[in-house]
Amino acid sequence: MSNDDHLVRFVDIQKSYDGESLVVKNLNLDVATGEFLTMLGPSGSGKTTCLMMLAGFEPATHGEIYLKENPINRVPPHKRGIGMVFQNYALFPHMTVAENLAFPLEVRHIDKSEREQRVKRALDMVQLGAFGDRRPAQLSGGQAQRVAVARSLVFDPDLVLMDEPLGALDKNLREQMQYEIKHIHENLGLTVVYVTHDQSEALTMSNRIAVFDDGIIQQCAPPEVLYEQPENAFCANFIGENNRLLGKVVADEGDNVKVEIDGDAGTVVAKKVNVGGVGERSTLSLRPERVTVDPDPGSLPNVFSGKAEELIYLGDHIRTRFTVCGHDDFIVKIPNSAVHAHLKEGDTVNIGWNAEDCRALDPSD
Amino acid sequence: MSAAPETVSGPLITADGIPLKESLQKSLRRSKIRAALLVAPPLLFLIFLFVIPIGNMLTRSVDDKLINQVLPNTFEAFESWDKVSEPDETMFAAIYQDLKAADKTDIGKASVRMNYAKPGWRSLVKRTARKIKKMEPPYKEAFLKADDRWTDNEYWLSLGIMKDKRTMGYYLNAVDRTYDFDKNVVHVDENRKVYNLLWWRTIQVSIIVTLACLLLAYPVAYLLATLPMRIANLLMICVLMPFWTSLLVRIVAWMIMLQQNGVVNDTLVAAGVLSDENRLAMMYNFNGTVIVMTQILLPFMILPIFSVMKTIPPSYMKAAQNLGATPTLAFIRVYMPQTIPGIGAGCILVFIVAIGYYITPELVGGKDGRLIGNMVAYHMQRSLNWGLAAAMGTILLIVILIFYWIYDKIIGIDNMKMG
Amino acid sequence: MKSKLKLTLLASVVAVTTAAQAEVNIVSWGGAYTASQQKAYQATYSDPDSINFINYNGGLGEVRTQVESGNVTWDIVDVLPHEARVGCDEGLFEELDRSAFTPAPDGTSMDDDIMVELPNDCVVPQIFWSYVPFYQEGTFKGEQPTTIADFFNVKKFPGKRGIHTWPNALIEMALLADGVAVKDVYKVMSTDAGIDRAFKMLDKIKDHAVFWSSGAKPLELVQSGEVAMSLAYNGRIGAAVLSEGAKFVTVWDGQVLEEEWLVMVKGAPNRDAAMDFLVHASTTESQAEQAKFINYGPMRSSAFEIMKQGEPWFHNGKTIMEHMPNRPEVMARSVVANPEWWADYGDSIGERYTAWMGQ
Repeated sequence: MSNDDHLVRFVDIQKSYDGESLVVKNLNLDVATGEFLTMLGPSGSGKTTCLMMLAGFEPATHGEIYLKENPINRVPPHKRGIGMVFQNYALFPHMTVAENLAFPLEVRHIDKSEREQRVKRALDMVQLGAFGDRRPAQLSGGQAQRVAVARSLVFDPDLVLMDEPLGALDKNLREQMQYEIKHIHENLGLTVVYVTHDQSEALTMSNRIAVFDDGIIQQCAPPEVLYEQPENAFCANFIGENNRLLGKVVADEGDNVKVEIDGDAGTVVAKKVNVGGVGERSTLSLRPERVTVDPDPGSLPNVFSGKAEELIYLGDHIRTRFTVCGHDDFIVKIPNSAVHAHLKEGDTVNIGWNAEDCRALDPSD
Repeated sequence: MSAAPETVSGPLITADGIPLKESLQKSLRRSKIRAALLVAPPLLFLIFLFVIPIGNMLTRSVDDKLINQVLPNTFEAFESWDKVSEPDETMFAAIYQDLKAADKTDIGKASVRMNYAKPGWRSLVKRTARKIKKMEPPYKEAFLKADDRWTDNEYWLSLGIMKDKRTMGYYLNAVDRTYDFDKNVVHVDENRKVYNLLWWRTIQVSIIVTLACLLLAYPVAYLLATLPMRIANLLMICVLMPFWTSLLVRIVAWMIMLQQNGVVNDTLVAAGVLSDENRLAMMYNFNGTVIVMTQILLPFMILPIFSVMKTIPPSYMKAAQNLGATPTLAFIRVYMPQTIPGIGAGCILVFIVAIGYYITPELVGGKDGRLIGNMVAYHMQRSLNWGLAAAMGTILLIVILIFYWIYDKIIGIDNMKMG
Repeated sequence: MKSKLKLTLLASVVAVTTAAQAEVNIVSWGGAYTASQQKAYQATYSDPDSINFINYNGGLGEVRTQVESGNVTWDIVDVLPHEARVGCDEGLFEELDRSAFTPAPDGTSMDDDIMVELPNDCVVPQIFWSYVPFYQEGTFKGEQPTTIADFFNVKKFPGKRGIHTWPNALIEMALLADGVAVKDVYKVMSTDAGIDRAFKMLDKIKDHAVFWSSGAKPLELVQSGEVAMSLAYNGRIGAAVLSEGAKFVTVWDGQVLEEEWLVMVKGAPNRDAAMDFLVHASTTESQAEQAKFINYGPMRSSAFEIMKQGEPWFHNGKTIMEHMPNRPEVMARSVVANPEWWADYGDSIGERYTAWMGQ
């Protein structure tokens, strides 16, 4: 996965459907060979458009896409040799499963015996060896999904695109399929570009996640980096659970800044990540699991008193909603240990957190 | 809770002691009655407007009762006749009795029927019946005085065709065959053969029109299904416009377009494509029938195909191309097969409508563009030979059923989608 | 308020039903023909509002359906000679009391005043109409067509010929064109050789024939130049010439005259009112009056006297006698169609004709 081993490169890509507004604004993105890259974002963020441009179904308005360093803007979809799993699988209903799988081989004029062999191999890979004679309508959702994956792989493409492939499945099946797809990716050394709006799916499967919003990649990083070190308020908020505190920078202390929370609710010491100078506004981002309830005095730079408004018992932890610094939606995940068993709704306790766990980011909205 | 349930050896019983089955039936009865009431009006409608008329048609196409009721003695005498010698007094006496006893209208109807067997019977019977009151024996002489055709054995012989209460004569007539006097099936004279030609032409026209409609409708339906809503709606209005226009207006418009001195010919001559003497004959012939029927029946093809295409997500075409098929190949291998239910429905619809069409062929068919439907209409309205019309209607029904059966064999009727 | 509404509703229902009861439905062919009947019979009738005209396309299919189902809504039908006979034979029409009809001014009974033999007691005289050849002025240079033989001669008078899609009149005309005398036409037609002879003559125009089946068509065909000559109903030609100033020339030779009768449907709902109207419509005066509006010939010869004395008789001040198909001058070269012959042989000739058309 070295930097110069790029399979796909988007260079200065812009896309507009109506000539009035840009759906994709100046996109630059590299996908390394063997990488599992997820494009994550809310609907309308431009992620599917990017995938469709890569597949060749939408022309780029400006810029160039390179596949193995060859510009492909003028290459029609059927010559790109990219596998794709569609949102609703797009299995051809008038063909059997085996015929569906044989289709890409047939149009490539691969002879019959090899065709059969490869179809069988692909079906075995998704554990559907016995289903070759069925019609798509006779398959369950999960089976159809696997067939769609098998079909996208049967002609050995270097790159496979997946457009929300698990969206139609129920939760259990979805989680199971996430692992299956991940295993296939690892076993075959595929390069996958995956589109989803489900952040947990993105976190589970990806090597890297590109977070889309408003036609721009907000951040592109491995899951743990994205979660631990979001670079802006959108990413912090979109990935995982997040407490937000809004305020104004009152002091710059090198690595840290002091931020006065709106409404004179106190001053927080936070890690300086993405803020302007003193006087600028900032959004503070703090993960619920990084908050300590009833900390030892002096052990944390930020300690505030909070009133427990609501406790939800979730087994391994207790999800507690506090009113802190004037925000009544401050969530804290308290590990289920005897220490905090006494906490009840309405209690007021001290809560605190470290400066490096609290990231001072751009002022959103 | 503590009390053990009774043994379950007997039938299951509900809480109030009524057997479960009975209780269930009771609760279902209401919904059954309601369902029956709901179905009743369309069912009655179907019986009155479909089953009864078709039953009536089948009966009429073979019925030959009346003649046997009117001339019972005559047929009895006919049986003992040697069919060679000149009819004798007993036969004349028999027909005298029958004609004298019969109701005037029955004689009228019978004479019409007899005329189908042998032209001339009608005026012979009528002229004789007019004088029957004043006749005295010997009847042979009296009959010959009334009309000298009574000596012509052919009239007498033709009775043999009508002696049964059921006849296949109308069906034979409808396929250019007839009974000879011994009730053998024979071809009609060469110069009277009309129906087989018309049957063949009707099927030919129906198939050509169906194929032409398919060819024209497919791209239109595709456009309708794929264009943006706003433009598609406009196009849809254009497709449906003919439905809102009187049939006659449309046909007349075609006449103006296609006749020898019509718009199309004038344009072609003006453009120098045709010389003035070689104007195309596109109207009042086979071509005219095909062209106009195709236009009129086109919506019947477009709509079912469109409604099927509308349900095909564009992702199939994308998937096929993504898998390596050229757009053309993707269309042929992936898109078209999925439209077959619509194609099937459209073809069956157009074919069935076309095969019974008669207004258009009547107006634009001229000498060789008229179809079997025109003959059915003619025999219903003009010649009043309802037996023959019914026989032709029945054959039409059978032809349609045969094509339906072929369709079922090839494509499968479950696969048909009307929309 | 509510009761008032109810009352009005009730009143209107009563009004509608009584009006419907009094209304005599008379079924005719529509167009200028029905218009002439409305002007000549309805407008002059004592109670014009009670008469309601309906259009139809001929044939007895509907009448038979009504009579057989017992649901008769038509009272009077305007029928062709063949239908007049078949319908009466089959009992589809009422037989009428002949003494109720009005004699001619000179005292001749109506039935004796009719120019043809009365076929049965169901019919009330209407008009004579004819199939006749015509062309547009200026179609032919030099010699103009004057005989029925000219119609069948495409060498002498080149151009297409408009003929109808059924054999009636064509067989007679073909034989006349082949030199058969008027009085012998049906004698010849009653032999197979005679029919062959007629078809042989028809063969001569077959490749030049344009077939029509609706009465307006031949006028369009000739007007547009689609055909050089055509057969047509004489009334259509006359209407175009008399009312619209068309330059059509009728060839008064070898025409075939057809009868047109009024009949009452068996079980007519308004029998008495219908009979009263039939009596009115068949008077000598009514018959003459109709010729003011259409050039079909009255069936009662006494009507001609009134017309001759009243010339110019046509409603717009033109003379009418030279457009009458049954005026004495042209009768010598006209065939009066024999419906009895057609009733016997119509079906078989029809099949042969259809076969001939389609070959």
